[in-house]
Amino acid sequence: MSSTPPAVRTALRKLPLAIVWLLAAWPLVLWLVHRSDPVAAVELVQQTQASLWSGLGFATAGTLLVCLVIPPAPAWLRRTWHRTWIQLTLDRAPLLRALSELRHFASASRHAEVGRLLRLRGDAAGALQHLDLSLGLDRDVASTWHQLGLVLFPQHEWQRAAVAFQNAEQLDPGHAFGDALLHLGRCQQELGDPAALATLRAHQQRHGGGPRSHVWLADALLRAGDRAGAVAALREAAAPPRLRLTAEENWFRAIARVRLWGKRGTP
Amino acid sequence: MKDLLQQADEIPVTLLVALAWATLAVLTKPFGPAEEFGQHLQQFGWLTPGLCADGEPWRLLGYAFLHGGVVHLLLNMSALFTFAPALEKSLGSVRFALLYLVTAVTGGLACCLVDQPGQPVVGGSGALFGMMGAVIAMNMRSGRHVFAFLDFEGPRRLLGWIVVQIALGFFLPMISNAGHIGGLLGGIVLTFLWLRPGDATPALRQWRWATTALAASLLFWSLQPVTRWDAIGRELQGTGDRQRAELLLQAYQRATGRSLTAPDDEPATPRPR
Repeated sequence: MSSTPPAVRTALRKLPLAIVWLLAAWPLVLWLVHRSDPVAAVELVQQTQASLWSGLGFATAGTLLVCLVIPPAPAWLRRTWHRTWIQLTLDRAPLLRALSELRHFASASRHAEVGRLLRLRGDAAGALQHLDLSLGLDRDVASTWHQLGLVLFPQHEWQRAAVAFQNAEQLDPGHAFGDALLHLGRCQQELGDPAALATLRAHQQRHGGGPRSHVWLADALLRAGDRAGAVAALREAAAPPRLRLTAEENWFRAIARVRLWGKRGTP
Repeated sequence: MKDLLQQADEIPVTLLVALAWATLAVLTKPFGPAEEFGQHLQQFGWLTPGLCADGEPWRLLGYAFLHGGVVHLLLNMSALFTFAPALEKSLGSVRFALLYLVTAVTGGLACCLVDQPGQPVVGGSGALFGMMGAVIAMNMRSGRHVFAFLDFEGPRRLLGWIVVQIALGFFLPMISNAGHIGGLLGGIVLTFLWLRPGDATPALRQWRWATTALAASLLFWSLQPVTRWDAIGRELQGTGDRQRAELLLQAYQRATGRSLTAPDDEPATPRPR
């Protein structure tokens, strides 16, 4: 899951639109500058052109350099590419079918399905609306609580997400191969709840874990003052995988490697 | 031909466009002396960024109905009858006419943005690329996901054809690639954002406002390219204010990289580049 603050994520989403508005404003700006000082307008154009070219060159060189020097950079690029690709190639037919079924007859399961599909498409507001409607009709479905938690988690709504994951876990212990328990542990960690360590340990014992759960466990151990345990968890996370990791898990492995490398063995 | 005439009531705009192309091709006398042909093209509306900025914005549309010879006309005519009938039936005649006009203008705006002030452009290929962009956009919109259309041979071939045409445009000096790319982007954006069924979502509305503002801004730039050397020169010739003339002269020198000397008592007259 992403650790990017929701405000930054919202700003990044609006960036393309802002660029279009900026481009639209540019001729007007030049015209206004030209009215008072024609030389300054020409200089502004020439300087902007030069800056854009040099900026492009620096950005390319900088990206290559960062990829070479900072290990999470390639993992971050892979994860960003993976997420973009998923967004672009997600089949929209199931959502259209689910929406048309919902128009015929609204039920908790149909609202939950629409909510799940909207979450996958990145429409958090729409997903939240349908998941709330679903829970209004039937509060005893673990997967709906789990989906609700997954919508709230990237928005850093830790308290509500923790409740959702807790309900999912209570209704169906080990739900989604322990994913609800793992996220519950992370939410507790973010809320400063001392129960986080126990939850994450329980997850580790029952379901094993990958780089993500190890990194989160390391965070919890560090907060509890167990530095050696945290280093061991990070080592587990950074260990070479037997199978190719997903882009998300690979990102956490990269983080673990950097944290071990950057502080000479201590996170 | 017989088929086309039989479906005349279904594709009136396509036939009107073809008729306009053919009529103007006859009026511009392409078989006459080259100089005379050029004069006719200029008279009937070829587009140069300089003329457009000089108070003739109608050229942004007029150039899309003219052709630089019989071969040019026949090539574009064959492309028109390949893409336009199906597209017009799919979109409807009014929307198709809007697509043709808007993409012709976006192609012209791209020429004004990129080309040299005196470089003339004629041809309906900007609008034809707009039609191809519309086909791609419709495929992208209606598939299971944005790239699902690549599973089908027809759209894949069309995309390949567009790529080849644009790549050729970079190497062949007689092709206005700016017009092609401008028309293509105009067609994609117009079809994606405007020519679609259903109510507009807030995000769609935001994009519609932004792209409309961008198009209006490009139109403003093509009419008032204040930092381009030809526009500065024109203003320099027209200004009576000595202080302003000094500034414009400096700006002109900055824009062209040439040094000019102004006579003491009158504003400098720039030479063409």
